[in-house]
Amino acid sequence: MSSKKIKNEEIRAASLLEKKSTRRNFLKGLSIAAAAGSAALTTGCIPAADAASTEELKLRWQEFFKKNYRLMTQEEKDATVARLERLSKLNANLDVQMGSYPPLDGVLYGYAFNITRCEGFMECVTACVKENNLDRKTNTQYIRIFEMEPGQLDPSTGDGQYYHEVPVDNKFYMGTQCFHCEKAPCTKACPTKATWKEPDGIVVVDYDWCIGCRYCQAACPYYGRRFNWGKPEIPKEEVTRRQHYLGNRIRPMGKMEKCTFCIQRTRKGRLPACVEACPTGARVFGNLLDPESEIRYVLKHKKVFRMKEELGTDPKFWYFID
Amino acid sequence: MTKLNYSCLFLLFFVGLSHSLGAASEKSVVDEIKNAEDRFDNRSVPLVEQVVDEAVLAKEEYQGGSFRVLARKAKIERYKCSSCHTDKPVTAQQGALLTHGDIILKHGSEDQGLSCIDCHHPQDRDYLEDKKGRKIDFDHSYQLCGQCHFRQKRDWLGGAHGKRVVNWAGERTVYNCTTCHNPHSPRFEKRFPATYSVELD
Repeated sequence: MSSKKIKNEEIRAASLLEKKSTRRNFLKGLSIAAAAGSAALTTGCIPAADAASTEELKLRWQEFFKKNYRLMTQEEKDATVARLERLSKLNANLDVQMGSYPPLDGVLYGYAFNITRCEGFMECVTACVKENNLDRKTNTQYIRIFEMEPGQLDPSTGDGQYYHEVPVDNKFYMGTQCFHCEKAPCTKACPTKATWKEPDGIVVVDYDWCIGCRYCQAACPYYGRRFNWGKPEIPKEEVTRRQHYLGNRIRPMGKMEKCTFCIQRTRKGRLPACVEACPTGARVFGNLLDPESEIRYVLKHKKVFRMKEELGTDPKFWYFID
Repeated sequence: MTKLNYSCLFLLFFVGLSHSLGAASEKSVVDEIKNAEDRFDNRSVPLVEQVVDEAVLAKEEYQGGSFRVLARKAKIERYKCSSCHTDKPVTAQQGALLTHGDIILKHGSEDQGLSCIDCHHPQDRDYLEDKKGRKIDFDHSYQLCGQCHFRQKRDWLGGAHGKRVVNWAGERTVYNCTTCHNPHSPRFEKRFPATYSVELD
């Protein structure tokens, strides 16, 4: 994507969001005054032992009044990331390394899934759950694998809850996840502009701007989005510490989440967790703008199709057969 | 009357024009991809994770030039084979059990599967041998596998079969045939999936 296009999008995003800033700034000013007032009150009667909770209160207060991610300068992004890291330390005693690194120039991510090769072992699913800090209690999964009858290409006809020895003869397996549509209907449905398409093609959610209305979930024709009904529960030793603000940081309760092509990995040149875990090599990931990439080879030389292409959502996720 | 006709024609032309313009703005990502012909420098991406497994430079090329494959020899427990397979005949008690008794050969069709020397070099056991009689290094087994599985090899070179190691960017390092497939029994065994899914809310 050209830098001009990116610039235009940024300006548009800014103008859309800037409208409410006067009221926000007013509230922010008010809140700072209130915080100062309450701090002055509490210092008198609460002993110093509770300093950590005062710090937490202050951080949470600042977090509450931060801007939408797309309007933040890099300094503001760094500041919120630092606050979130500190809050994670204070709340859960977790040392996380959070980043807010930007998209790479000249990169548009794309994905291809080989329905001939997938044998339904679901190792992609476990890798994804672990990498993205998904809630273990409700068994939230971004990826679904469907056991399909030959000749069928619509996953709704398949069995998405199989648990037996795989592969079963005369069946094939088809994985779904967020398809990162170029014309993503979910982003249009969001009333708070908390979800958008990044210049490298990844559809992301600002978890702190999401109000949990689930309009995007209803708008997605691929069932690609998940909702946190409760606070995600993850065993402490299993938490992935390397995180991204728009990626796998632990979501608060009542927020939407979805596959981000492992933004915390892919923006550092690494493969998404599902691709790395796949034991059969059914998953291909790469830069669509690079004519020498694997994904471009697949698009050029293989029979490919996209799911529900007629809807015009333009997903960047292709299925192919050998 | 003619004036009216002309204005009608003009109107039709204008409507048609606006339609075609509308269609042009409905560009698909596929067009954008097709137009992207500039080479992307994969090495410009700063990597956080390096390939730690030993890899060797492949003796073939893919569309982007040279690439690396994961080495095999280091993973073979008792390599070099010539440390046992010498010119001298050796008689050992329970020889088959102590040496290669664990290998189950299930490669090729059921009634006429492959035998050891279909791939292994009959004299020099440190190498493989293809049907043309060329010596093939264990690290470059794709040269041997590709003589039958040429379609898979073509896809593997391009990137539609197998996969890259760790990174999508940086220097291309891919899995070797034998990293995923057991050469003696190349089909994946049936097994239970790693997890299961529950109903969506």
